[in-house]
Amino acid sequence: MKRIFCLMLALTMIAGIAWAETITIPVASPYTGQLASFGEGVKNGALLKAEEINAAGGINGKQLEISLEDELCDPKEAATVATKIANNPKIGIVVGHLCSSATLAALPIYRDAKLPAITPASTNVSIGKMSPYYFRDVYRDDFQGLFLAQYAHQIKGYKKVAVFYEVNDYSMGLMLAFMKEAKKLGIKILGTEAYTSDTSDFKPQLTKFKMMKPDAIFIPGYAPQGTLIVSQAVGLGLKTEFFGADGLDDDLMTKNPDAEGLFVTTPFLPDKAGPEAESFIKAYNKKHGKDPNWFAANTYDAVGIAAQAIEHVGLDREKIRNYLASIDSKEKAYVGVTGKTYFDENGDCLKSAFIKVIKDGKWVGAEKQLR
Amino acid sequence: MESLLEQSSLILQQLVNGITLGGVYALIAVGYTMVYGVIQLINFAHGEIYMLGAFLTFTMVTTLHLPFFVAILLTIMLCACFGIILDFVAYRPLRKAPRLAALITAIGMSLFLQNLALLIWGSQIKSYPREVLPAIFSKAAFSLGDVFISWIQVFILSVTVIAMFMLHIIIHKTKVGTAMRAVSQDKTTAALMGIAVNRVISFTFAIGSAMGAMAGIMVGLYYNAIFPHMGYMAGVKAFAAAVLGGIGSVPGAMLGGGVLGIAEVLGAGYLSSEYRDGISYAVMILVILFKPAGLIGKPLTEKV
Repeated sequence: MKRIFCLMLALTMIAGIAWAETITIPVASPYTGQLASFGEGVKNGALLKAEEINAAGGINGKQLEISLEDELCDPKEAATVATKIANNPKIGIVVGHLCSSATLAALPIYRDAKLPAITPASTNVSIGKMSPYYFRDVYRDDFQGLFLAQYAHQIKGYKKVAVFYEVNDYSMGLMLAFMKEAKKLGIKILGTEAYTSDTSDFKPQLTKFKMMKPDAIFIPGYAPQGTLIVSQAVGLGLKTEFFGADGLDDDLMTKNPDAEGLFVTTPFLPDKAGPEAESFIKAYNKKHGKDPNWFAANTYDAVGIAAQAIEHVGLDREKIRNYLASIDSKEKAYVGVTGKTYFDENGDCLKSAFIKVIKDGKWVGAEKQLR
Repeated sequence: MESLLEQSSLILQQLVNGITLGGVYALIAVGYTMVYGVIQLINFAHGEIYMLGAFLTFTMVTTLHLPFFVAILLTIMLCACFGIILDFVAYRPLRKAPRLAALITAIGMSLFLQNLALLIWGSQIKSYPREVLPAIFSKAAFSLGDVFISWIQVFILSVTVIAMFMLHIIIHKTKVGTAMRAVSQDKTTAALMGIAVNRVISFTFAIGSAMGAMAGIMVGLYYNAIFPHMGYMAGVKAFAAAVLGGIGSVPGAMLGGGVLGIAEVLGAGYLSSEYRDGISYAVMILVILFKPAGLIGKPLTEKV
């Protein structure tokens, strides 16, 4: 008994020492579930950045450890995960979440715990305004929707568009932003229809769209449903074009031959990225055998920003928040692989968007980009 | 005039969508209703048999490269066995226990099978690659103006009709069917008349599960989306269909499936796609309010 006790004591001491020498940044995202492939990019980006930081000596001599927190893109799970993170006094900043609905569920928990958070991927407009502790290194949906509407109008020349959205914060916010700008530009919105993430039958709505004869259908949702929608539309003899936003930016879409020609917005495009992204793309390719997607790039930068904050002010939550808030101009910006990141008074940032399109079963940057 | 034509072809297309969906619900609902008729148990794990049906065919076709129709037959047989095992492991030991105990076990089995599928196949949606499916499935069978009916829809409807017809024959024209009806009326008396009650119950599970598996296979093909939680939603809907038609009644399950499928599609098409599931459940609740025993169910009279 005594021996076991001694062993346990020794183990806790070793663990204690190891704990003292590492700094943990939780990265919350779906790693399993329908959107697991988005989470894979998040994970790869976060781990690559941590590896590079540790190879360069860590954060002020301490090793950086990434703890991957799985929340399945489910608001309920996100709240549970957020509570666990917020109650850990050794955490100074969190990176996440991915889905806007998950971020909005976690947001009040981080706010009440005064824990700063930076999301690499949630684009819903209201996030920044709701909490002084939330930051993001990705554009907002009001920008993305406007950008898409302009692209649809100027480059594609669409006159009549139908919108097929999912019932969640990301999709609905994006739809409203798109429609607002589309109406200004004179694009006629023929109709909007909704679906939920647990259905795989989209035919009743698509049948309705078919009678409207739209030039294109806008799908502001996620790829697992997007690929089904496109295929079922073809099955119904619906001849139209499709486009979506960064939620469709996944290899699931390219595997579907019916999705040929579909275009999406994305915050990061390897062949359009600046020189600062070169070594990142090379390192990522070496490790995973493919180009990084935008989830990987944005998370890579988000972890970089979080690490830089800890390096400057330590693990004090309030100080980290104030440090992030002080990155408020181009000159003070964090220069990462997705360009310069600096925050406005809401913690939001200005980032450019790109259009990519499926050509011969592969994502490629669109020839014509909006500048 | 043209808009009238368009409107009518829109309704027609929606009806085709609704009937296909309804056929699938009916096939699953039959499994619920048969088991309920025989042992008064709501087999909540039935939706998972449907999910296993979809996954097994998928695995046989894509990983084991079996010919398509061989895979379907094998799956149906395997799932029928699963049904028997399910009864043997989870329900038979509780036959004499209060009904609530078996119901809880049913929910437990449902969760167990769902998580087993998660472990084996992972949580992402699986789709058949185009080249493994018979080419005919991706083609439209015929089109009347703007109304498209695909071969897979024809396949689903014909399989449903044939399966229902065979089920009718089994229940009404065979010895085992007579035994099933006897057991559903009174287990003890049936046993006294020399009917092997447990064997009849096993047979009921086998038939019900085979039907569920067929539905799973066809839905996997129709929507080309197979995932571990697919059984939950479909199971709940089919259960609603069984209740709507009158639980315990096989024709009721067929009718209930059809009504629910069409109500869901028309609700999504004409009222609001955002409240699609709500509309189909509202239809069920309304029917139950006015006909508590369901559309074809016999009203229950309490024995004194």
